[in-house]
Amino acid sequence: MADMHIDHKVLSDLREIMEDGYLQLVQTFLDDSERRLGQLHAARSAVELGAAAHSFKGSSSNMGAVALATLCQELEDKARHPPLLGIEDLINRIDLEFAEVQRFYRAEHHRISAG
Amino acid sequence: MAVETDVSQDGKKLTIKIKGRFDFGKHQAFREAYERQPRRPDAVIVDLQEVTYLDSSALGMLLLLRDHAGGDEADVRVVHANCDVRKILAISNFDKLFDIS
Amino acid sequence: MADELGLTVLVAEDGAVDRLLLAQIVRRQGHEVFTAENGQQAVDVFKARRPQLVLLDALMPVMDGFEAARQIKALAGETLVPIIFLTALNEEQALVRCLEAGGDDFLAKPYSAVILAAKIRAMDRLRRLQATVLDQRDQIARHHHHLLNEQRVAKAVFDKVAHSGCLDAPNIRFLQSPYALFNGDLMLAALTPSGDMRVLLGDFTGHGLPAAVGAMPLAEVFYGMTAKGYGMAQVLREMNAKLKRILPGDMFCCALLVNLSMQRGAVEVWNGGMPDGFLLSTGGKVLSALSSRHLPLGVLGAEQFDDQTEVWPLAPGERLLLMSDGVLETADDQERLFGEQRLRAVLADNRNPALLFDELLDALQRFGGRARDDVSLCDIRMLGAQLPQPMAMLPQDLGRCSAMDWSLNFDVRGESLRRFNPVPYLVQLLQEIHGLRSSAGTLYSVLSELYSNALEHGVLGLDSRLKCDAPGFADYYQERARRLQVIEEGYVRINLAVEPLAAGGRLKVEVRDSGEGFDVQRVLAQPLPEQGLSGRGMALVRRLSTVARWTEGGRCAHVEFIW
Repeated sequence: MADMHIDHKVLSDLREIMEDGYLQLVQTFLDDSERRLGQLHAARSAVELGAAAHSFKGSSSNMGAVALATLCQELEDKARHPPLLGIEDLINRIDLEFAEVQRFYRAEHHRISAG
Repeated sequence: MAVETDVSQDGKKLTIKIKGRFDFGKHQAFREAYERQPRRPDAVIVDLQEVTYLDSSALGMLLLLRDHAGGDEADVRVVHANCDVRKILAISNFDKLFDIS
Repeated sequence: MADELGLTVLVAEDGAVDRLLLAQIVRRQGHEVFTAENGQQAVDVFKARRPQLVLLDALMPVMDGFEAARQIKALAGETLVPIIFLTALNEEQALVRCLEAGGDDFLAKPYSAVILAAKIRAMDRLRRLQATVLDQRDQIARHHHHLLNEQRVAKAVFDKVAHSGCLDAPNIRFLQSPYALFNGDLMLAALTPSGDMRVLLGDFTGHGLPAAVGAMPLAEVFYGMTAKGYGMAQVLREMNAKLKRILPGDMFCCALLVNLSMQRGAVEVWNGGMPDGFLLSTGGKVLSALSSRHLPLGVLGAEQFDDQTEVWPLAPGERLLLMSDGVLETADDQERLFGEQRLRAVLADNRNPALLFDELLDALQRFGGRARDDVSLCDIRMLGAQLPQPMAMLPQDLGRCSAMDWSLNFDVRGESLRRFNPVPYLVQLLQEIHGLRSSAGTLYSVLSELYSNALEHGVLGLDSRLKCDAPGFADYYQERARRLQVIEEGYVRINLAVEPLAAGGRLKVEVRDSGEGFDVQRVLAQPLPEQGLSGRGMALVRRLSTVARWTEGGRCAHVEFIW
């Protein structure tokens, strides 16, 4: 399951690079990403939506959540070309994908703090 | 190379060919051309065919060459000088010191 | 993989995750990291910490990356602070914006540590290169400043040595840049004791101090010897010898030396390497060109040096126009040179000689536009013969004015006549006589006249009637030179006797030559203009002395001065 949602090469690089800071990074991502998802839902214009998608895409890709990043890219592209067709559906898919990613990183967090 | 040298088979004739501007920028290369020879040649030929411009520092360099080649006993020839260059050499009467053609 | 670099780096990124990750990547590469969350913070941190490298997110709140980049670049000034934009932007327009804002490179997300390291290394190379360039620029500016100062000092010294002499005489107009000295251009003018005007135009090889340094000894010789009345040949030989001795082998001085003798109505010329000078009629027509016939000064040893001068007649109102090669070499914006043809055209077009100088300057200005430092011009108008003025001689020890009673016999014989002129030495000697000091000019004129008559007409047997026109002049002096060259016998004998009188004293001068003599009565009986140029000399001698008579069939001139 983790293979489709998280790029393991990126993951192992992250662990290596961050060293003792890995836990903090994971925590920061968990907090930050929830907030960003909220921003996405709260967006009232195409511009806001595009910007929120853009930012979310950045941090997702850095954390190896490639599928999530791709979806955000799609959303960013769509937001630039009104009318916004199929937006609702796309946002739903983002929610679902994020849930998987969140689950994974929560497990990571648990693993590290316990270990 | 802006300054080319050529020595005859028997080592008696040294030809120094200058290309482009014959001015202070050629100072180092010109000196090395005649100072680096293992034996003093009997005659030195300075070929100015491809010289586009010549100023008083070039005249000075020729004087140094002449001193090095034996002063009054030296056989230094300046060849293939174009019209403008010959005029400069003529005004300074350098034909009294060098064989110019 | 810690580098040797160890830079200070600013990471400005609004995403918390990205910021954390990037900061760590950079830190692990051996650098010190400061972070900022938005554009304004980035600028503030930059001001406070002055990092050497900046990683900047393009889209940030409060102030975006583009504006932050502009402000940071402005704050950095001359120093290169590389800015690497962090961007997920994949449109060319956006990337162009980054560059326009001052960005030096981009880094895409997801961040690759390897790529970042390579970019940082490359940017650092650029940064250090810029720092080197600025440092070298500052060094060069300092050196330049020093050099300018050295030149200022050199010029001050030179001005003391080479004072303007008689360049401010009413019959001389000249143009010379204040920087002429550092182009090796020299212009000197002085009067001989007999009132001859001697002018030297010189052009040393090289530029800057090396060119200027040779000018000082040359000026000293010129002024010293001219004031003492030495002839052109002697002055030339001395100047050549001095320069040959002190200058390095590749340095020399092109020179044009002229001596205007109002008494003789002639100009004596020596040109070694300078452009043609011109003799102009009162109407401005070119009478002849004074071309370079000799090697420049400082090239030949004493044995080979040729001091042969040319003599041309010059009537009052006629002029000499002398110039340095800066005139002919004035270039227009297409690098074409003013050249001889244009110069000749200006001379030909001129109607009023008094305006020639200005017309020439005007023509140069219109042609070239930019003023050059090496344009030297001199326009000398020939004056009529005048009585010599009481000369201010060089400072000398004013001895006691005691009565003097002595005599001296001085013979110049045979080959010595070729080179040796005793007149300056004898005049120096006569300076010892206090009462004669103010008449130095007179004494010099009289002695010179008598000596040259004795030599030219007496010993060499030249007929002064040859000197009636320009070709005749040239022939006369050529013949003079030729006969001097082969002379073996003959003499000029000078006897000086000083005796005290009740109040003052008397100087008796006798000049004898080994020649044939001449019909004194006949020459003196002729009206002044027909006495010819040497006749003018005899009248002058009679006018300047207390007693003057010619005995022994014209072979002995006897002159007295009483004070």
